[in-house]
Amino acid sequence: MKAKPTIITGTVGVDAHVIGTKIVSRALRDAGYAVVELGAQTPPEEFIKVAQETDADAMLMSSLYGMAEMDLQGFKEKCIEAGLEEVLLYIGGILGVSRHNFQDDEKRFKEMGFDRVYPPESDIQLAIQDLRGDLMSKRKFANLVMES
Amino acid sequence: MIKVRQKQIDEDDFLAMRKDVLSLWPTGQEVDLDEAVEYQRNLPDSKKFYKVLQKVHEEGRTVLFPRSGTPIVEDEIELVRSLNDLGIPLIPFTTDSYTRNLQLDKAQRGLEDSIKAGRSMLNGYPIVNHGVLTTRKVVEACDGAFSPRSSRLANSLVGEVAFASGMTAMPNSFFGWIGGYDKKATVEECIDTAQYLGRLIGYYASKGVIITTDCHGWLPNGVIPMSVNIATQIIEALISAEQGVKSVMPQVNLQGSIAQDLGDIRVTPRLYRKYLDKLGHSDVMIPGIVGSQVPLYAFPRGMGSAFGYIVYTATVAALGQVDACFVKTIDEAIGIPTKESHIESYQAAKWVLDVVRTQEFEIDNEDIRQEESITEAEVTAILDKVLELGEGDIAVGAIRAVEAGVLDSPFSINIHAKDQVLGVRDLKGACRYIEFGNLPIPEEIKQFHRDKVAERENVEGRKMDYYVSIDDFWAISKGNLLGMPNFNNNNGRRGKD
Repeated sequence: MKAKPTIITGTVGVDAHVIGTKIVSRALRDAGYAVVELGAQTPPEEFIKVAQETDADAMLMSSLYGMAEMDLQGFKEKCIEAGLEEVLLYIGGILGVSRHNFQDDEKRFKEMGFDRVYPPESDIQLAIQDLRGDLMSKRKFANLVMES
Repeated sequence: MIKVRQKQIDEDDFLAMRKDVLSLWPTGQEVDLDEAVEYQRNLPDSKKFYKVLQKVHEEGRTVLFPRSGTPIVEDEIELVRSLNDLGIPLIPFTTDSYTRNLQLDKAQRGLEDSIKAGRSMLNGYPIVNHGVLTTRKVVEACDGAFSPRSSRLANSLVGEVAFASGMTAMPNSFFGWIGGYDKKATVEECIDTAQYLGRLIGYYASKGVIITTDCHGWLPNGVIPMSVNIATQIIEALISAEQGVKSVMPQVNLQGSIAQDLGDIRVTPRLYRKYLDKLGHSDVMIPGIVGSQVPLYAFPRGMGSAFGYIVYTATVAALGQVDACFVKTIDEAIGIPTKESHIESYQAAKWVLDVVRTQEFEIDNEDIRQEESITEAEVTAILDKVLELGEGDIAVGAIRAVEAGVLDSPFSINIHAKDQVLGVRDLKGACRYIEFGNLPIPEEIKQFHRDKVAERENVEGRKMDYYVSIDDFWAISKGNLLGMPNFNNNNGRRGKD
C-alpha cells in the first residue's frame, strides 16, 4: 500500500484556463497528497496515460470553457479499457456552453462516469474532504490521516 | 541558439510562407491576397478599425468593444446586428477554442453538431471552417469594424481569413499566448508567429490598407501591478511595427483600484509613443486606447453584483477618457453569454460611458500621480533591461528576459515562465508585489511595495503570502476588493447578491 494517494490534476481538452487547477494542485500538496500536475490544455488521453504510469488514485479535472462534454465523450469507458476503473474521476468548472443549471451538468457528468462534479468557486477544502472520504470508502487507504 | 531577430521578413520568403499557411484547411484557397486588398480598399470608413477609433477620439466618446462569437453563421449575424443596434461600432469576433488550437476537424464537428442540435456546442465562431465567402456575409451584415480573436497555433490562418473577409484589426499578442493560451510554445516560436501576422498586416499597409493590432501583453493570472503587462504590450507593438504594422492600440487592464487604473491609463500610451519613436517607428500611429476589464478575476455570480462590476469598470474607463472599453457580461460566471445577456450588460455599460463622458470630468490627485510615476519607473526599468539583454534587438531581448525572469507573471499557462512573482492588494486596493522574482524593479520602488504591504499586514495581523494572494484573487466575485480569509462558497447557484 502506498504511503499517500497520487492525484492527477489538469485542465482538460484545449481549455487554457489554468488558475483553478494551479490552486487545486497546491491545496492538494499542502494537504499531503502526491500531485501530478498536468496543467492546462491536457488531452484526455494524457490523463489516462499518466494515471497508468503513476498508479494514480484520482483525477481532478478542471474545465472552464464549456466544452468538456465534447472533450470527455467516452472517457470513463477508455479508463476502464486502460484498467483504471477504480480511479476516482472528479470534475469542476463551467461545464456547459450557455446558460444552464449546475444540477443538469452534475447529472450529465455523473452519467458519463464521474464520481463528483463541482460548480465554479467551490471550496477546494470541501472537495478535499470529499476526496478523502471517497478514497477511504474504496478501502485503498484504510488509515488515511491527512490534513484537510 | 536564438534564431529569431527583430527584422522584417523578406517579401519573397513571406509569400512562400503563405502557401503553407493557406494549405492548412481547404478554405485557405478562398484567400486571394490581391483581391482581398481591393476588397479592403472599398470598405467604408465605418468598417476601418483605426478610422472608427480616430473618430471616436475626436468626438470625445468612449465606445464599447466587447467580445462575442457563436458558431452558427445566422446566429452570429443576429448577434453582431444586435451589438450594432446598441451603437457598438467595434465588433469583436471570438473564435472557438478548437479553431484557436488548429483542431479544425473538431471545430467542424462542433459546428455540425451545433447546427444539428440547434444550440452552441462551440464557444465561438469557427472562422476558418466558415471561410472567407461566408464570413464576408457577417462583416457585411452590420456597420462596424471587426477584430477577430485567436491564439498562437491558428493566428496566421485566422488572420489570413479574417483580413480577406474585411476585418480591419486583430491582436498580435504573443505574450498573451504565453500568459494565457499556449502551454508549451517557446517565446521564440511565439515571436515567430507574431512576425508572420505583422508581416501580413505590413503587406496590406504597403498597398495602402491600414489594419490595426491591439496589444494585450502578458496578462497576469494573479494579483500584481500591470508593469510587466504594459512592458510586454510595448514589446509586441515593436515586433509588429518592424514587420510593417502602422496602427497599434494599447490596452489598459483595469484591476479595480481607481488611482492605479487611472495612473496606468495616463502612462501607457505615453510609453508606447516613447519606445516606438526611440526604436525608429515614429510613423506608427496610436489611434486610440482601450480600457479593459482585466480578464483575470472570477466574476460575481449574482446578476446584481455582476452588473455592479461591469458598471464600475465602465465608470473608470469613462473617467480615464479612454476611447474604447471592454467589459464582460453578466453571464461570465455562468458560461458563454446569451444574446440577451450581451445586450443587457452593454446597455448598462453604455449608459455609464455616455453619461460620464458627457461631463468631461477631469480627475486628478496625488494618488493617481503617484501610481503613474511608479508604473512609469517600473515599465521603463523592465524595457531598458530587455533591450540590454538583447543588445538592442528587442526580439532577442524578450526571449532572454523570459528565460531570466526579467519578464515574469504568476500562474501563467506557459511552462517556460519562471512564475516567481506574486502580489496582493494594499489597504486601498492597489496591487503590489510581495515577491519580485527577477524583475528589474529599482530598489526604491521595491521598498514602496514593501511598505504598502507592511501596512496591510499590520492592520490585518497576518502575513501577506500566497494564501492572501489567492484570497485577493477571489475578492471581486465576493463583492470586495481585498480578500477575506475563509470565504464559504454559495454552492454555485446563481444566488442572491
